Amino acid sequence: MEPEQARRTLETERERGLRAIAEAASLDDLERARVTFLGRRSPWSEVQRSLGSLPPEARRELGRLANEVKAALDGALAARRAELEALAEDELLRTDRVDVTLPGRRPRPGSFHPLTIVQEEIVGIFTRMGYRVAEGPEIEDDWHNFEALNIPPDHPARTMKDSLYIDVPGLLLRTETSAVQIRTMERQEPPVYVVAPGRVYRREAVDATHGSVFHQVEGLAVDEGISFADLKGTLEAFARALFGPERRVRLNPDYFPFVEPGAQVAVSCFLCDGSGCRVCGNGWIELLGAGMVHPKVLENCGYDAERYTGFAFGMGVERVAMVRYGVNDLRLFYDGDVRFLERFEGAA
Amino acid sequence: MRVVLSWLREFCPTELSAEELAELLTSKGAEVEAVERPWERLRGVIAARVLEVRDHPNSDRLCVARVHTGSGETEVVVGVRNMAPGDIVPLAGPGAMVPLLPEPLAAREIRGVVSNGMLCAPDELGISHSHEGILILPPDLEPGTDLKRALGLDDAVLDIEVTPNRPDFLSVIGIAREVAAATGAPLRIPEPTFPEEEERADEVATVRVEDPERCPRYLARVLRDVRHVASPIPVQARLTAAGMRPISAAVDATNYAMLEVGQPLHPFDLALLKGPGIVVRRAREGERMVTLDGVERVLTADDLLICDLERPVAVAGVMGGEVAEISEATTDILLESASFERGGIQRTRRRLELSTEASMRFERGVDPEAVPRGADRACELMVAWCGARVLSGAVDVGRAPERRWVSMRTSRASMLIGYEVTPADAVSVFDRLGMRSRIDGEVVHVEIPGYRVDIEREVDLIEEVVRIQGYDRVGATLPPVRQAGGVPETVAFLGRVRELLVRAGLREVQLVPFVSETDLALVGATDAIRITNPLQAEEGWLRTSLLPNLLKAVRRNLHRQVRSVAIFEVGTVFRLVAGRPEERPSAAFALTGVADPGWTGGGRVYDVFDAKGVLEAVAAGLGIRLDHGEALGRPFHPGRSAAVLLRGERVGVLGELHPSVAAALDLTGRIAVGELDLPRLREAASEARIVGAEIPRFPPVRRDLAFVVDVDVPAAAVEAVLREAAGELLDACLLFDVFEGDPLPPGKRSLAFSVDLRAPDRTLGSEEADAVVARIAERLARELGAELRTG
Repeated sequence: MEPEQARRTLETERERGLRAIAEAASLDDLERARVTFLGRRSPWSEVQRSLGSLPPEARRELGRLANEVKAALDGALAARRAELEALAEDELLRTDRVDVTLPGRRPRPGSFHPLTIVQEEIVGIFTRMGYRVAEGPEIEDDWHNFEALNIPPDHPARTMKDSLYIDVPGLLLRTETSAVQIRTMERQEPPVYVVAPGRVYRREAVDATHGSVFHQVEGLAVDEGISFADLKGTLEAFARALFGPERRVRLNPDYFPFVEPGAQVAVSCFLCDGSGCRVCGNGWIELLGAGMVHPKVLENCGYDAERYTGFAFGMGVERVAMVRYGVNDLRLFYDGDVRFLERFEGAA
Repeated sequence: MRVVLSWLREFCPTELSAEELAELLTSKGAEVEAVERPWERLRGVIAARVLEVRDHPNSDRLCVARVHTGSGETEVVVGVRNMAPGDIVPLAGPGAMVPLLPEPLAAREIRGVVSNGMLCAPDELGISHSHEGILILPPDLEPGTDLKRALGLDDAVLDIEVTPNRPDFLSVIGIAREVAAATGAPLRIPEPTFPEEEERADEVATVRVEDPERCPRYLARVLRDVRHVASPIPVQARLTAAGMRPISAAVDATNYAMLEVGQPLHPFDLALLKGPGIVVRRAREGERMVTLDGVERVLTADDLLICDLERPVAVAGVMGGEVAEISEATTDILLESASFERGGIQRTRRRLELSTEASMRFERGVDPEAVPRGADRACELMVAWCGARVLSGAVDVGRAPERRWVSMRTSRASMLIGYEVTPADAVSVFDRLGMRSRIDGEVVHVEIPGYRVDIEREVDLIEEVVRIQGYDRVGATLPPVRQAGGVPETVAFLGRVRELLVRAGLREVQLVPFVSETDLALVGATDAIRITNPLQAEEGWLRTSLLPNLLKAVRRNLHRQVRSVAIFEVGTVFRLVAGRPEERPSAAFALTGVADPGWTGGGRVYDVFDAKGVLEAVAAGLGIRLDHGEALGRPFHPGRSAAVLLRGERVGVLGELHPSVAAALDLTGRIAVGELDLPRLREAASEARIVGAEIPRFPPVRRDLAFVVDVDVPAAAVEAVLREAAGELLDACLLFDVFEGDPLPPGKRSLAFSVDLRAPDRTLGSEEADAVVARIAERLARELGAELRTG
């Protein structure tokens, strides 16, 4: 090839190549342009190959020019490639777009029953105070459910709660978790510090505030020197753990055959702090029955009632749950309505 | 017990308001549930004298009364005509208010005649429940007198919840005693006084008590010439406010005395008593009598009867009989005031399902010392209200028991209450309670009056001390718990299962554990425990399985248009084992409806594999392995169910409901359920051990192998052979695809496993892996006719 012709070829190729690169609309176009202008069969390669046959001076000059052209084209190719790649990614992202306001793909949410939540919380407060959880059967005998609790057959307290009996003589569905007190004391020597959560049964027509089945948490402490003040202090600590550190407790005399003195325990309302509101009425939420274990009960369990004293308390789990969650109908707890249960997904 | 405030103040003249008293009594253990003011809305009703009653010009039924109001005359239209000129009647003129009507009265035209208000019937004024005629007032009331003031109706009622230990609170005097103790106000209980005739009661009637244990005392008074009249209007108002129905002065007198003293009384028509005489005896088995309510009662030998010399005239302490009931014709009365043993009254009341004001008091304990006072007070009232003549003396058999003395150590009281109690403190409490006491060193001896049936031992006196001194005096301390708290494993395990089921995306329910016979048949239970006295027949048994009630909960949800139901319960099931009840915790779950109702869910509905997935999640969470056994019969789908096995032993069920069972239960769609017996799972779980070491260091060789087998070859069988053939180099095996249809021939399906092979000590070479794959393919081909798909 003549030097002159070679120079023209290189100049022309640079001009055409730069234009083709600039006009490449896709990475494929660009690759084709690279092959056309710098590939083995491109005019530029032809010039490159012919350089050896040229006189030394022309060879030096044209060699420099060929390198310049290649550098220019390589530079343009790289720049254009970057441009096209960016465009391709934009396109990819554009077609991959979704409507992120669409609802998420959620794992199926489970939830605990509100009574479970509340019961665990109550029990947890006492186990942290050092109480152990005690259990007893739901089908009880007359001794544990009544007699040992100082409720003999003719005692008027038996008329307060009509019991459900089963067709095995002498057995009934327990009416109070207090039966667990007896079982615990029969099983172990003092000191006793236990809580007993569980289901209890009454022969009672079901309405918004009564059920034939409900849950109680019973507590029992028997030790040397346990006083009524210990009961008050314990329930105060409990009420504060459950409803907040500002809570106060109020004890009024009440009667349960298995305690003496007996008390009805109210907690200052956690919503209005005792000034009276829709939930509490008069500022106090009646929460528990309690008292000092009747010496007859201790004696029934073979304890020395002179040496040991104790306190017992019991509360309704439904009652606590109703107050806490603003549930106004007891039946909701036993219906299994998913729309109700969903509300407790967020309960800790 | 409903206590009328003015009545209470007759015995204890406290200055406290009804609300203050309510708070005070509640703080002492007599819980006042409500303070009511029955006549709060009575205003402006006056006494008026009837001047003329004439026909209403435009009505046959109505009449027009012209009355004198004290300051003038007015006319009202009236619907009844029991009033006559000269009568004093209640007039509610325009602007006046009566308790029964929501709005103040106004002058209005009734069929062309202007009525300036109304004349009132007793019920409209809250005097009694009678609406038969206009209330005729005492003739000495001046026209124009305000009736609220004149009849003493500006009153309040304390509704007190009486606990079983304090039957003395079932009387006005009993409450008055408590108010006196709580406030320090004086207590004044006047002795009833009335003239007595020369004729002696014991000459007229006899009393014989055949069962002195059940009837320690029987006292009869005899009254003659008892007029049949209404009791005074303020008395009727008090009885009505106290919750009793005024009947006639004689009956009202016995009720009034009972409410006041606490002693139930019963009047018999003396003329109807054979003898006349009273015999107190047990009933004969099967003996019958008709009680006052017109019901024939069948009695047992444990029931105590009041009889005349020939036949029963009352069920003792519960209800009188028809045969000697007093009526308008009665002139002479034998009045019973007696003590009956508590337990006997309670048993009879229960057997007869008949609770009365009398039985309610007797079964809790009536003051044995109040027998004469109760009778005397009623006599006094009958003299005043009915002009009765009381015969002298009483026929009185038996007597009240001696009072007991109970002692209290003040050291014991101080220890139990938690603050210092001195003997002087104690004595001042018992003084306020009106109980005699004596100090003996640190011990205080106390005489217990008859009305305090609850005080039997030292601790009862300690309670009195802290109760009267006030529970608010008690401090707050904590007992010295010297142990770590905790939860037994049995309880903790139930919590763990709940947690796993919640994590598996189920919602916990709690259901009532009663079932019907149909429910038992559904789960094929033959060893269920029957409840002998259920409130409803559908609740006649204890559940043997959680499933029946869980399915009812599913149905309720489906009927409420809930799209997706995934619920579980952990609870007790009950069975009779060798004649004794057995309780076992169980866990059951049910899934139905759209698995993921959201836009990504594709409308897939829950089926047996969702239930199986729940089961697998629970097993994994407990660190145990559950296998699946034979398909189950009804109520399960025979082709979509399996027994759940733990170490080859059945511990539960899993599957979809049989379609016809579901239809019978009014359930639509696939219902996938499972139930597990928890004690056996707990045993297995307690042995599970977690090993955290030995995470593999060398990479696995992963091969995807698809086998074509007959459709009836279970996938589990294929996997079992595969695992065995792969041997120790098998690291993981995941069934990732199940495929049937073209291009496979009918009756065949492809099961594709992703198999990870790994050696613990080196990187596995592909030749070694190929050898394992070949071994797997050979075994599966030989044992299950499986063909390894290639390409």
